[in-house]
Amino acid sequence: MSELAYICFVAVAVLVFIGLYCLMTMKNLIKLLIGAEIVAKGVSLALITAGVEKNNIMLAQSLAITFIVVEVALVAVALAIVIGIYKRKKSLDIRNLNNLRG
Amino acid sequence: MVILFIILPLIIAGLLPLLGKVSKKVLPDFLANAVFALLLGYSFNFAWNASAGKTILSQVNLAGIPLGITLRLDALSLLMLFTIALVSLGVGIFSVNYINQEKYSSKPIYYSLLLLTVAGMNGIVLSNDLFGIYVFLEIAAIASYALAAYGLGKEELEGSFKYLMLSVVATSFILLGISMIFALTGTVELNGIASVLAYSKAIKIKYLIGICSALFIMGFGLKSAIVPFHSWMPDAYSKAPATLPAMSSGIMVKAAGLYVLIRLFYNVFGITPAVQTVLMYLGVISIVVGALLALGQNNLQRLLAYSSISQIGYMVVGFAIGTPLGFIGALFHMFNHGIFKSLLFLNSGSIENATGTRELDELGGLAKKMPVTAGTNIVASLATAGVPPLNGFWSKLIIIIALVQAKFYIFALIGILASVVTLWYFLIIQRRAFFGKLNETWKDVKEAPFWMSLSSIMLALICIILGIAFPWFIRLWIEPAANVLVAGIIR
Amino acid sequence: MNIYILVALILFSVMAVFLRDLLKSAICLAVASIFLAVMFFRMGATYAGVFEVSVVAGLITVLFITVIALTNDDAKVPENKWPIIIFPVALAIFIIFDIWFMNKFIILPSKALPLLAQGEKFGDVLWGQRTFDLLGQIGVIFAGVFGVFAFFRRKTDE
Repeated sequence: MSELAYICFVAVAVLVFIGLYCLMTMKNLIKLLIGAEIVAKGVSLALITAGVEKNNIMLAQSLAITFIVVEVALVAVALAIVIGIYKRKKSLDIRNLNNLRG
Repeated sequence: MVILFIILPLIIAGLLPLLGKVSKKVLPDFLANAVFALLLGYSFNFAWNASAGKTILSQVNLAGIPLGITLRLDALSLLMLFTIALVSLGVGIFSVNYINQEKYSSKPIYYSLLLLTVAGMNGIVLSNDLFGIYVFLEIAAIASYALAAYGLGKEELEGSFKYLMLSVVATSFILLGISMIFALTGTVELNGIASVLAYSKAIKIKYLIGICSALFIMGFGLKSAIVPFHSWMPDAYSKAPATLPAMSSGIMVKAAGLYVLIRLFYNVFGITPAVQTVLMYLGVISIVVGALLALGQNNLQRLLAYSSISQIGYMVVGFAIGTPLGFIGALFHMFNHGIFKSLLFLNSGSIENATGTRELDELGGLAKKMPVTAGTNIVASLATAGVPPLNGFWSKLIIIIALVQAKFYIFALIGILASVVTLWYFLIIQRRAFFGKLNETWKDVKEAPFWMSLSSIMLALICIILGIAFPWFIRLWIEPAANVLVAGIIR
Repeated sequence: MNIYILVALILFSVMAVFLRDLLKSAICLAVASIFLAVMFFRMGATYAGVFEVSVVAGLITVLFITVIALTNDDAKVPENKWPIIIFPVALAIFIIFDIWFMNKFIILPSKALPLLAQGEKFGDVLWGQRTFDLLGQIGVIFAGVFGVFAFFRRKTDE
């Protein structure tokens, strides 16, 4: 594995860790989405790094671009849900979503 | 023209909101159900091919120019396509009346989302490409977040948000797994990965495949609600319109979760004893936890969600045994569960349509007022609990025989005991919702409208017919699919 | 040089998580994505870099800021203190574990693989090999558009 791929994979793991930490500890709905976005950054870096490692950057790019498009659709729907919750609850606090018991 | 399975629902989904301006109700009803019926009929077209054990790798052409789409249609994917089309037809017919409720407006958008989930699942099942599986999984998932909150109530939105957040985590794990596979093998095509891995003997690759397996079990396990990853399911289902859980628990959990998992482990990576053990324990824990948690529930759809988790456990166990009999049992149970669990969810929709509630303690004595719903519900409940001679009995029996054959005596015992618990909580539903004294509030309740009853009766009839004609069904549809898994790594 | 870009990327991501003002954290997220795009350029993934800048740093940030503006001040959410205090320790432990793990398992002998023909164009790969993904993108866009439609529909349009 090249040195570039090595440090990139370390960075991927760190980004995913930060995102998951955010998802587990934060209480604001928008913060949770920001955490999900950070995980997504890690994932797209992983895809590109895999392409560099295998000397197949063109394939990796097309995968990353598809991933980015999916991400936009996902974020749009997620933000629409957040606005819906805000309209009904006047709050973005996840602790107020107490109707869910798992 | 295998691509039709994906293209047709996609095109109609795009057209419906435009055509909806012309006719708000009849046209969307007709078009969507016509698509589902057409897909169901079209899947028969490939039945003889697949039961002969042939694999169709179809390269798609556009006006003579080959496109970069390769679809894999073998008996396993055909079984999934058939299940998807059948259940979605039931759900589609049911929606004709159900979505007329006041809180669910805009039928064209609703049907578009339904068609998109079907297109997504068909894409997952037909894809010969790991990344393609991910993309189509996202289509189905995004459409189902919108469907889960379709009534726009407070709790629906919250359930949908929780579903979305956990799914995002799941897909991130899946994608990390995919990029690791890509970094290892340099390709994302299933047969390419399989052939590269088959020739690599390095011990470190084995470790890395182990890590990938863990990522995929977490990701697809979350999608298929296996126990430590199940918490989204009851919340997303408890207030959602009944057609979403029918669709999601009936087929999406299997097409987007279990199917991919078994396809990867049996046909691409090659199964290892460690993975089998992990899956076996996860399955058994799902059976027990799901059944026990279902006991104390008051919301009908939440109860059914826990019941689904328990039944999915049976399938996971069946697949994890790894013997041909285990595959047959698990695949048959997968199909049966698609039928009877969607019927149960649709019946909870009928109850909610008539009374406006799904809380069991507010219901009671509905059997006199809603005989069709009560009757079909009894059939589905007994089938889920595994009472002979309904279809669920045979599939559970096969799984338990396979467990005994493979010398997992304790797990077989747990399976039998859990199915007693299942029978118990379904009897509780029957007693609290349908029998007993009629609650005064519901004295004006009417039977479900025509199309809703039709869909329930259709699904209930399938449960009864398959209970009698199961040897024929197993020979024609299930056995070829099990043979795909037995045959091991694909080429 | 690469390592500085990655450190900046991680730093801005951390700021996006822990800044109290949502607007500032959305902007930090955008800056992080610009650093990611620079990384993509340096790795030769120019098209993905362009997409990262225009779509993730541009469009998604706009979406976030719109929503933050719509759900204005009265929605301040008190965050717990302890995650911020524990975070540096947790991150340090994780990085040490990560590097140990990478050294133990991931370093593979770089085997020579069939090199791609150097003349291969990005468009050819995307349109020639990944058409299935493009079909999927159409589906995803449909799902996103109709999903957002479903959330903002007027409930009495019958």
